[in-house]
Amino acid sequence: MSLLEYGYAVWAPLVWILALVVVGVIVLILRNRGRKSYKKGTAQGDIFLSGIAVPAEEQRHVKAANIYWGFFEALKGFYKGMMRPHTGIVNDYILWFVAVLTVTVLILLLTS
Amino acid sequence: MNLKAFNRALWVYHLNTGSCNGCDIEILAVLTPRYDAERFGVMLVGSPRHADVLLVTGPVARSMEASVRRIYAQTPDPKVVIVVGNCGTEGDVFHEAYSLVGPVDQIIPVDVYVLGCAPRPEAIIHGVVMAWAKLERLVKGEVV
Repeated sequence: MSLLEYGYAVWAPLVWILALVVVGVIVLILRNRGRKSYKKGTAQGDIFLSGIAVPAEEQRHVKAANIYWGFFEALKGFYKGMMRPHTGIVNDYILWFVAVLTVTVLILLLTS
Repeated sequence: MNLKAFNRALWVYHLNTGSCNGCDIEILAVLTPRYDAERFGVMLVGSPRHADVLLVTGPVARSMEASVRRIYAQTPDPKVVIVVGNCGTEGDVFHEAYSLVGPVDQIIPVDVYVLGCAPRPEAIIHGVVMAWAKLERLVKGEVV
């Protein structure tokens, strides 16, 4: 079996495939032990949401960005200030670049 | 009682339809160390989709009607429904309240009634045993 060693770990594709197969078999065995007496295609197979009607799939999808809601809310003042200079116009960014470069060069010249 | 057809632990989903919490506290007493029904495998579960028994408390407030119907429909067969307390059984002191659509058997079929306000844990355990026996008969096909 070919092993690729890169210092702190070993990458062996066959070992990974074997591990995945073993995990897959365990999952299938556990799944097969699940309850079979329920009626498929009826409400018994529906999503349970504390007894309330389940909204359509596109409405119940939680986007990854939603987990940052509190973060953005807490730093709203900062983001509001930062969004103003970010106009999306290249000329503005070049102007910022030239301005920062000028200040940096001036500081370097004056302190040297 | 010889239970052979229903040969697994009994899982229960507790549904409060507007109870004052008196019955719910007694249900907790059934599960906590003094009565400890869990030693027989009787366990509360978080979803009716995992349950064999619906344990219903409360007289069914109007706002809960749809949820009660939905939760009953989502419980897999074979299933039994236990009503714990006078409110769920016949409305008790709330039976003429404008905000109620119950009692429970006006909304979903009920198999076992446990009377009391609130019923003692021994009575609830007796009701669960009755439900277990009904499940056994359901699995055997003796009743529908």
